[in-house]
Amino acid sequence: MGRQVAIASAGFSEHASKRSDVSMPELVSEAIEDCLKNAPSVELGDIDAFVNGNMPAFEGANIPELWMTDWMGARNKPLLRVTTGGTTGGSVAIAGYYNVTAGLPGVDTVLAVAFEQQSQGDTSVGLASVAYGEISILNTLGVSYDQLSRLLSAGAAIGVAAYQATTYMNKTKTHEEDLARVVVQNRRNAAKTWWAHLKMPNLTIEDVLDTPYVQYPLRYGMVCPASDGACAMLFTTEEKAKDMCDIPVYVNGVASVANETAVLGYDGSGSAQVDPSMQLGAIRSAELAYSQAGISFPRKEIDYAEVYAPFPNQELMWTEKLGLFEEATAPEMYKAGVTAVNGELPVNCSGGVNSTNAIGASAMERPAEAALQIMGKASNQVPKTVHTSIGSGWGGSLNLITLMAMSDQPQRKWR
Amino acid sequence: MSKMTQRKSLEYIKKDYKRTRTLPGSWYLASYKFKFNITHMKPFLEKLKEKKLIANQCSSCNRVFFPPRLVCGKCFVKPDKWVDIRDTASVSTYAISYLKDPETGEVQQRPMVLVHHDGADTTSIAELAPDVNVKDTYVGMPIKVHWRDERTGGIMDIEYYDKVDDDSDDLRYKK
Ligand SMILES: [Zn+2]
Repeated sequence: MGRQVAIASAGFSEHASKRSDVSMPELVSEAIEDCLKNAPSVELGDIDAFVNGNMPAFEGANIPELWMTDWMGARNKPLLRVTTGGTTGGSVAIAGYYNVTAGLPGVDTVLAVAFEQQSQGDTSVGLASVAYGEISILNTLGVSYDQLSRLLSAGAAIGVAAYQATTYMNKTKTHEEDLARVVVQNRRNAAKTWWAHLKMPNLTIEDVLDTPYVQYPLRYGMVCPASDGACAMLFTTEEKAKDMCDIPVYVNGVASVANETAVLGYDGSGSAQVDPSMQLGAIRSAELAYSQAGISFPRKEIDYAEVYAPFPNQELMWTEKLGLFEEATAPEMYKAGVTAVNGELPVNCSGGVNSTNAIGASAMERPAEAALQIMGKASNQVPKTVHTSIGSGWGGSLNLITLMAMSDQPQRKWR
Repeated sequence: MSKMTQRKSLEYIKKDYKRTRTLPGSWYLASYKFKFNITHMKPFLEKLKEKKLIANQCSSCNRVFFPPRLVCGKCFVKPDKWVDIRDTASVSTYAISYLKDPETGEVQQRPMVLVHHDGADTTSIAELAPDVNVKDTYVGMPIKVHWRDERTGGIMDIEYYDKVDDDSDDLRYKK
């Protein structure tokens, strides 16, 4: 099997709705600077290869990795670009892992960067570029553009989440207050995280429930923002990581699993999932990553979780599907404070995607933050010692799940 | 729904950034040409003219796809059997959209639903009849196809879905 991989460092840029002070390459270099600051012995010259990724078309710039080579320090070095929609960050991190675990000659240390500067582009054009092929098919099958626009108002990411929310709330008998409680926890956590976007230290459940619906059952106050930001992670071998940082974080399991096409389907053929909150892809990716990492009882063995959830109902849904809680019990856990910073199983202490969403970077910020929590270097550090943590991602054609399981102990089973 | 007391946004801690230079540009998506295969849809679209619904079935896993699908994601084979299915269905899940009328500016509430046809194993996105009250929509609600008067062999021959009354014969035949 492959080499044991360790995370030596992770870093972020500042996130905001409009980072109008920097260009895209400058934003990326900010995250790299922060990443290298967390591992002072590492210089750009020590890095052997690079992985880079963001959502295509959201900034209206193709192959951005080429014109930011200088800003990344990637001149004359192997450079790989990975992009998989919403999970881009997760896939970039996994590609960084593969680069190291493969054991290629001369490639020991890999820097992975994911970014998005949404204010620079047009998010609706970006989404349209994803869905345009599908829309034109439905159009030739006799659906008028007028009706399409109505149907698609429920078909974009928020619509998918609203569908999931309706079935989830129906199944678990959850109320809107339960969703608002997740939002309040996230946004208050974000206020303690230096790089987060929506910092709301005094938010209450009533405040969230006082905002109008964007799409029932999701309200304006529950929806993730559109952010500008970047994230960087430094992957290296077990031996080198010990010199680079005090507490290396070992990557023991990675998975990236897609389910069948969802909601719009392909060629106008609908969704294979009758229940959108079933999420077989998440269950399968958890199985894969946990078996690699030797995690038999996720509820007991995982100390910290970063779950990719732009909408609060998804955080409840995925903490269950990833095996952290029993089916339909997540709302109670949030109510009891189990997921709070000082709780038994803290979830999304960075504020999560619900508070900061630079799309391409979001799925990498999850494992990055989960790794920093093990190192003890996180901005909103949990008081207990974190031994094992996970970071997940959601996206692709709305049903691709990435997962990375990390620990302060290497998984010897693999060698 | 849009009460006067409701706040449009929540306040958060903001930071000001000095502006760098920007250059406008545009990306015209309609100039692309997308290739796709709709041969599997043809028999289904033809039958719509006769107010009949057919779906295709995977002979490996027996799943029934409505609308028809080109390939079974589970078995990686082409579904080759055609089966008739009933015009009754149920609401698999729904979301309510708030759409502004372009002329009057009035906000309309429209439920957007995923429809699960009786006898099918997949769902498709659709609209409910305009007279269905948003508040009456629920998961598992029985519905029935409302045909367009002049059918042309397009997906929109199914204009929308009507609510099925509790004492309707359709419910008796179900299952
Ligand atoms: Zn099959």
